[in-house]
Amino acid sequence: MHCLVVEDDPVIAGHIVDGLGAAGIATTLAVNAAQALERGRAVAFDGVVLDRLLPDGNGIDVLRTWRRHGPVPPVLMLSALGSVKDRIEGLESGADDYLAKPFHMAELVARVNAIARRLPQRGSSEPAVPSVGRLRLDPSRHAACFATASVELNRKLYSLLAHLMLHTDRLVTRDMLLEHVWGYSFSPGTNIVESNMSRLRSRLQELGIDPILTRRGEGYVLLAGACR
Amino acid sequence: MIGAARDRWPGAGRMFFMIGGVFTLAMLAMGTLVFVVAERTVALHIDRDLIHHQDKFLHVPGASPSAPERAATSAEVAARIRDWQARKITSERTYTLFDPAGRIVAGRLNVRPPPGLSDVLFLGGGRTWQSGRALAAPLADGSLFVIVQHSEAAAGLRALLPHLVIGAFFAALTAGLGATWYFAHLTARRLAATGATADAIAAAGDLSRRVPMAGLDGMFARQAQSLNRMLDRMESMAETQRHFASALAHDLRTPLTRLSTLLTGPGDDAHAAAERECAGIITIFDALLRLAEIEGGRHGGAMVALSLGALVEDVAETMEPVIADAGGTLITGPLDPVAIHGDAGLITQLLVNLLQNVATHTPVGTSARLSVHRVGDHAELLLRDDGPGLPQQDCARVLRPLERGGAASGRRGSGLGLSIAQAIVRFHQGRLHLGDNGPGLEVRIAFPAVVPA
Repeated sequence: MHCLVVEDDPVIAGHIVDGLGAAGIATTLAVNAAQALERGRAVAFDGVVLDRLLPDGNGIDVLRTWRRHGPVPPVLMLSALGSVKDRIEGLESGADDYLAKPFHMAELVARVNAIARRLPQRGSSEPAVPSVGRLRLDPSRHAACFATASVELNRKLYSLLAHLMLHTDRLVTRDMLLEHVWGYSFSPGTNIVESNMSRLRSRLQELGIDPILTRRGEGYVLLAGACR
Repeated sequence: MIGAARDRWPGAGRMFFMIGGVFTLAMLAMGTLVFVVAERTVALHIDRDLIHHQDKFLHVPGASPSAPERAATSAEVAARIRDWQARKITSERTYTLFDPAGRIVAGRLNVRPPPGLSDVLFLGGGRTWQSGRALAAPLADGSLFVIVQHSEAAAGLRALLPHLVIGAFFAALTAGLGATWYFAHLTARRLAATGATADAIAAAGDLSRRVPMAGLDGMFARQAQSLNRMLDRMESMAETQRHFASALAHDLRTPLTRLSTLLTGPGDDAHAAAERECAGIITIFDALLRLAEIEGGRHGGAMVALSLGALVEDVAETMEPVIADAGGTLITGPLDPVAIHGDAGLITQLLVNLLQNVATHTPVGTSARLSVHRVGDHAELLLRDDGPGLPQQDCARVLRPLERGGAASGRRGSGLGLSIAQAIVRFHQGRLHLGDNGPGLEVRIAFPAVVPA
């Protein structure tokens, strides 16, 4: 994977380039809007990390200019402006995800992976009911089924498992789950994800599997290997 | 004097000249109107008098009801004039009859105006020129009957009228300008105290000053009261702000000190611990940002009709494992079907914050019940637990930003959870009340209910 990183702060830019590099993602750096426009046209990237406030312009304007000239790779917008309004503005301008500073490197890598993987699914009408190995979901009963056994889940646990299954073998962070499963636009500042995840894990253990791996301080991974 | 007033009360002189000028013009217009109306009334009265007397002289009433009234002949008119002269010694009217050749047949005054009403000049008593009003009527045989009226009273009144009007004008003008000056002076003096207070606050930022109420009444007292109420509110807001800033400084100082110790001291866990401290600081800032968003109405959600019970069920599903992990129990119900006009995201956060308090601030074994009731035209959200509750004096305090209950001072958290809850309730025109559940805490929130269509 090859990502364009648009960030003017040298310390943060270095940190992002190193972090993505460590996760096996190649990067090209642009330190202002002019470089971003130029480099964005020259190479076809798999994803873009775009800072919202740049010394010679605005990330939103850069994104709009790209859009006028053709298809744009998935964009993760970065910003110190973290209010809900700022987030909505960023997403409405065409960014695929929005991450407020300060952030953890694991969060950034997980989100870049998530949006870059979402690419081929764009335009597909209905997301198929996911299944991983022998683990599958039964939407009619809100149940998780493994081999012949099944266990019913409440709506939240069902959505939580569905989200993890959509991102099998990828790190999904606590904030990503709060945003996508719960739809919360605020930080609840409580262990909502941890408690519900532990509840989900116990339910899956009733099926005889324990496929969810906790990466301390980073997030969760649903391991396909554990569902065979 | 006006210059001095202008210095002491800027604007008072201008007010005086403006109102005084308008008043003078109004008085002038009124004087002219009085003059014209009085003059016209006198003239009309004289004309009506002349016509009445002409009728009396020129008509002979019928002898019986069957015989109609008829016009008098010249001879009859002349006889009447002579008869009248014999009876009247003095009069303001004189009657004269001229024959067709223009000679006087009866009467004495040799003035022959054209037929109809007209103004005439004549020699009164043969010596002084006098003006009068005349009415001339030709008779059937070519004679001319003339009445001339010279009313001394009317002439006197007419002579007096301009003086009267001018006198009244100047008297009213003097009184009016005096009243205007007094009013301007009074207004300026009363506003001076308000101005002095505002200037003092602007100069020194001393919000404890108030507009003095002594000697104020009516609208001035009401205005001073409004200003003082505004100052009360501003002072309380400034006080909250000051308190908030110092509480924030304290709340940040603690994790920053720990962070600095971790960074300088040895230890394998230092990195993870430092990250936890940073996360704590970020949590405080996130919550502050959120509080400011909600209080400023910039949270980005839409206001729609929401079923409170459905939201409670949804959040309870999420929070039940959290409370269970903390060793407590969450029960929901009864959930009366009642809708409120609200922002789903905000109401969700309100419920999460309240239940989070149960999870973090109550001991193991605490049971909490969340219910929704319809009370009159309100939807009431009730959260009751059987934990230790809050002392009465803490109930108001914990709703303020960065204030914690005495027992929770050592616990983590932004210290803004209940302030955010309070801001959300206020945004929805609701009321939040913390009370005693005997034992435990009762959180009672009332929202205006949506009336079903």
